[in-house]
Amino acid sequence: MWQPVGLTLLLLGLFPWLNPPVYYISLLFTVFMYVTLATSWNLIGGYTGYLSFGHVAFFGLGAYTTAFLFNLLHLSPLLTILSSIPAGGAAALVAIIIGVPCLRLRGPYFAVITLCFAFVVELAVKNLSILGGADGLWLKSMDLPIEIARSILFEVMMVLMLIVVAASFLVGRSRFGAGLRAIKEDEEVAQTMAIDSARLKIGAFVLSALFTGAAGGIYAYYLAYIHPDIVFDINISILVVLMALFGGGGSWLGPVIGAVLLTLINEGLSTFVRAELARIIYGSLFIIVTIYMPNGIIDFFRKRR
Amino acid sequence: MNKVLIVQSLFGGIMMGAAYALLGIGFSLTWGVMKVIHISHATFGLLGAYLAYTLLQRFQIDPILSLALTVPLLFAVACLIYRFLIRPITRAREVIVSSMILTFGIAIILQNLILIVWSPDPRILNASYSGQVLVLGPLYFQYPRLIGFAMSVIGVLIITLFLKRTYTGKAVRAAWQSPDAAQMYGVNFGRISMLTFGIAVASAGAGGVGLAFLYSFDPNSHNLWLIYLFLVVILGGVGNVMGTFWAGQIIGLITGLAMAFLPYQWVNLITFGLLMIILLFRPQGLFRSEV
Repeated sequence: MWQPVGLTLLLLGLFPWLNPPVYYISLLFTVFMYVTLATSWNLIGGYTGYLSFGHVAFFGLGAYTTAFLFNLLHLSPLLTILSSIPAGGAAALVAIIIGVPCLRLRGPYFAVITLCFAFVVELAVKNLSILGGADGLWLKSMDLPIEIARSILFEVMMVLMLIVVAASFLVGRSRFGAGLRAIKEDEEVAQTMAIDSARLKIGAFVLSALFTGAAGGIYAYYLAYIHPDIVFDINISILVVLMALFGGGGSWLGPVIGAVLLTLINEGLSTFVRAELARIIYGSLFIIVTIYMPNGIIDFFRKRR
Repeated sequence: MNKVLIVQSLFGGIMMGAAYALLGIGFSLTWGVMKVIHISHATFGLLGAYLAYTLLQRFQIDPILSLALTVPLLFAVACLIYRFLIRPITRAREVIVSSMILTFGIAIILQNLILIVWSPDPRILNASYSGQVLVLGPLYFQYPRLIGFAMSVIGVLIITLFLKRTYTGKAVRAAWQSPDAAQMYGVNFGRISMLTFGIAVASAGAGGVGLAFLYSFDPNSHNLWLIYLFLVVILGGVGNVMGTFWAGQIIGLITGLAMAFLPYQWVNLITFGLLMIILLFRPQGLFRSEV
């Protein structure tokens, strides 16, 4: 079973060096990014059942940390790869600060407060002139030919995706993951079973923010220009939630499938029909999935078999 | 700082608060009674505003009179949506989560239908009395704003009276307090839910017209409206109609004050920050729970 997966990954890794049209590199990069985002979101949203609508804040913070450090320190191209570490670190730090009070809230209240948090961070960044304010920030391009720079970033995003999916897989099998699932089932009962729910929740939230921030950092390099409207776009938050739940939030595979499918569907629709119509079809998809596949498409097909 | 300007701004805030209260009451009821978080609520409000706009431009029907057409229409549409989309998910274990995603899908569809029909340009309601002003000493009030304010207050009163005085309204309150007990006393929960949803969406249409009297609107307006809905409804206590109204007034006064002193982009920052603080310290709302 693992041989075809390994072969596919190898081919994907070689893909940008075969000189394909830029569009396909860009499409695959987007797929990798959304798989990363949906899988990291799933740690807190899917496993633990705490719906965060604020993950775009971590994504944007990662992007801005990278851009800021890059412009300040003038890193060399190879160190670029390491830059996703401080990007993720900054996001994780903010996640600790915001997570401790917010994770006491449950259900819709948690969803709303994280949504608000995303708006507050976006507005704050827009109004801070040191971060470029509403003008955005430019990243100086690397001293490499653009094709090579693009391919490097492609590989970096792919590696990050593999790390995140592996982490999600391992968490799902560990005691930590079992604790998170217990919290999702019934938090009170979990606590009476001596599960330290506060610590587990923070752990999942911070890990999730770390990966999301790292992805944001790489994305900033890939775009070479960031603006609050792009990296703090609330639709990214919502899309990530939908991808994870579309595939099925309970397992590590769900968000992967959901992200791949929805990114491709979205891309295909916007190529063939006008944008408004594409979004109407997209919206109908959410309705159909919630009514007929409440546990995600993975679960739906598993039952069919 | 000019005192007149501050007072003027505070009155503006109160009017805004009343419109958000009318928009928010239905949201609060659907959340409280049905445990459904209706993300497309504000989008239906926006649809109400656009319908009023078209009826005014095409047929010269006054926005207040056109409510007689749009409110029943929205009620009927809402009943259909309830029957075919909401009811299938109300038995799911995680109604709140699935309802958020499902109604988010409805919001996307509606917003893009609005885009196709009305284009992305911002619109304003230009009634025959627009531009007329009531002058009271140093203060002046635009007629459309006063009419929108009166409409919002009357709308809130009608819903309150319905809930307190009529048998059906009492059944809605009973279903909010305890669905199981209400059913044992002969309340048909499915029918009450459909009715609640219908009234909620219909009143959202009226609330949207109320907001359209105050501000220009475009196909994206419902996103900001939705944040204000959450703010007003959570501050007022979920399911609490009068609480929602007073919360609207409080938010309106705070926003009005902020608008008098701060540039516009900081006003929203204050609103969102405020919502976060309320959620952290008093997620059950400011007021005693009572429908």
